[in-house]
Amino acid sequence: MQVNKPENFNENVIKALSQPNLKKVIRRTTDKAESKRAEAVASFPEFEKARLQGQKVKDHTIKHMGHYLAEFEKNAIAQGTIVHWASTAEEASKIVLDICRQHQAKTVTRSKSMLGEEIGLTHAFDNSEIERIETDLAEHIIQLAGDPPSHIVWPAMHRSREDVVKLFREFHKDPTQSEEIVDLVASARRDLRAKFLNSDIGISGSNFLLADSGSSCTVTNEGNAELTITPPKVHIVTAGIEKLVPSMAHAVPLLRLLTRSATGADITQYITFHNGPKRPNDADGPEECHIVLVDNGRTKMLANGMKEMLRCIRCGACMNHCVVYKHIGGHAYGSVYPGPMGSVLTPHLNSLEVANKQTHACTMNGRCEEVCPVNIPLPSLLRSLRAQSWEQKYEPLTNRFFVNVFAQVAKRPRLFQFASACSLIAMKIFSRNGWIRFMPMASGWTRNRDLIAPDTNTFMQQYNAQQKAKKLTTKP
Amino acid sequence: MTKQTNDLSRARIFKAIEDASQNTNMDKQAIDAEALDILSESEFARPQLLSSDASEALMMRIDAGLVIGTTCEKIDSLMNLPNAVKQFFSQHNLPSVLKVQALESLTSLSWEDIAIDVDIQQDNTVGLCMAEYGVAETGSFVVHSSANMPILLNFLPLYLIAVVAKSKVLHYMDDYALIANAIAKKGETPRNMCLISGVSGTTDIEGVLVQGAHGPERLHVIIIEDK
Repeated sequence: MQVNKPENFNENVIKALSQPNLKKVIRRTTDKAESKRAEAVASFPEFEKARLQGQKVKDHTIKHMGHYLAEFEKNAIAQGTIVHWASTAEEASKIVLDICRQHQAKTVTRSKSMLGEEIGLTHAFDNSEIERIETDLAEHIIQLAGDPPSHIVWPAMHRSREDVVKLFREFHKDPTQSEEIVDLVASARRDLRAKFLNSDIGISGSNFLLADSGSSCTVTNEGNAELTITPPKVHIVTAGIEKLVPSMAHAVPLLRLLTRSATGADITQYITFHNGPKRPNDADGPEECHIVLVDNGRTKMLANGMKEMLRCIRCGACMNHCVVYKHIGGHAYGSVYPGPMGSVLTPHLNSLEVANKQTHACTMNGRCEEVCPVNIPLPSLLRSLRAQSWEQKYEPLTNRFFVNVFAQVAKRPRLFQFASACSLIAMKIFSRNGWIRFMPMASGWTRNRDLIAPDTNTFMQQYNAQQKAKKLTTKP
Repeated sequence: MTKQTNDLSRARIFKAIEDASQNTNMDKQAIDAEALDILSESEFARPQLLSSDASEALMMRIDAGLVIGTTCEKIDSLMNLPNAVKQFFSQHNLPSVLKVQALESLTSLSWEDIAIDVDIQQDNTVGLCMAEYGVAETGSFVVHSSANMPILLNFLPLYLIAVVAKSKVLHYMDDYALIANAIAKKGETPRNMCLISGVSGTTDIEGVLVQGAHGPERLHVIIIEDK
């Protein structure tokens, strides 16, 4: 599969909308996630309070980011962890590869981490002599398929069971002849087991970094993080600096929010805190432990009035509830992070110049903010990115011209009302005999869906008529 | 990556944070107080338990089917554990072999014709371990890595039996966090602390839940009445 680029967002969208099954495939996952989240929230009446507490935990940590980072570093070193710092994605993936090479690693197992994707770790390994083995089932599937992830929680949601059957028959040593999902999972289990046990290095991300103990915390349903980390001699954690929280007690409210918002489960099956290398007599565990703390645009968000975005705990609820995401899917965004949160993050990880079109796709219906477990004002952040994009003159000239024309008209009420009345007449003509489909300059809309014929009167005409009627009825 | 690049990046990150912050100039004590204040809200921002008794609530949660792939029972004393295990074997049609965690209190029980030291690297095995704690809120048991607690014992077998002493069942995750904090203060934090709530599951193929993705497919939690 060819990897989409964020700057080609408009073309990516056209491509996505023309795929007949894509919408069905996306909604299979997102609709289920949406209803399961709603159930989970309904059976947890304290959810609103938890949400406020979660937001406070994140805001407090962000406010004292420098303090907590220094604390984390000190305590992680005390546990025997080797701490590395990376300003950029390139630096971060180079640090990881250098550690692997120092240990002459032949194979690395990796437990799903979006930060790993963000810093280009998957490509860095694929361009090296070291074999990368993804251990999360979804990441395993997209690795075999050569796809980028299409969702941050279900990266392989765009692949059907038939696709998986084909991939496993081609790549597994001992594939199943069955097409049942349970047998496919068993096939992956057989294939990955030996790989877990024989890996040279285990790489994980981290859902939380605990400042007061220097721990990193992984959250999975499959238990693949522990199987990835425990057998090899070396464990490498890659984590964004925004993963910090003051202590385990502060991670608890966020754990309550994370899984309910992501999958609708009260908790994930496996929550593990990792504290450095194995102790002298430990029965198992890695002998060496590294953690790479990554900035890659996060301090830029802090400086640019986007600090609320650093609250994000990567649950994916915003994309599950996004009308745009549900139509175009994750790949169209051309970024590791799709949907509303991705549209805010990508301009900072990349640049606004290449990733400004995503911000315009938003309908501002506010669903994402409504379901965000840490109250990130995503629509406002997107609006402010739009404003920045306008100021930087990133919009195409035609857009700028027409927006200026509109602004001039909108500033003059009489002219505006006259123009909207004229447009109504024009639309009426076009809505006869289905001509509306061929209306000029509307192909972006009409290519894949119908345009609803407008009402007979403009908003102002209807409003005035109603006011008049009211006056008549309220007259004594 | 050279040490210089690393130090440079570190300095750059801290500088950027300092430049961006609304400089609060709070000292460590004031920051700690603010952090502690947020935790006082936990009491009102967590779910109700099914019973005020923690072990009761844990069992009710499992019995209600809220913990994936998990069953539970209560026994009077550790002496009865081999019997409970035998029942588990016959229930699931398993041969009488398992891996019992290398703890004196477990291995010294009268296992009779049950083999208790099977190699867990094979796929279809049964593991048995003694948990440090239970958590009622999430239906979890907690294990700590140590000389006689290999973490893989909880992840490799297809069937897992976890034994939890009734007195060690906590009400909330917050209660466990307090204990972890106390352990850390003594400088005795283990390498791994795992909260396990159910079996290894995945919904990665067409959203269908399958148990036993990499690790256990079935989990049986046994609560022991005595201490």
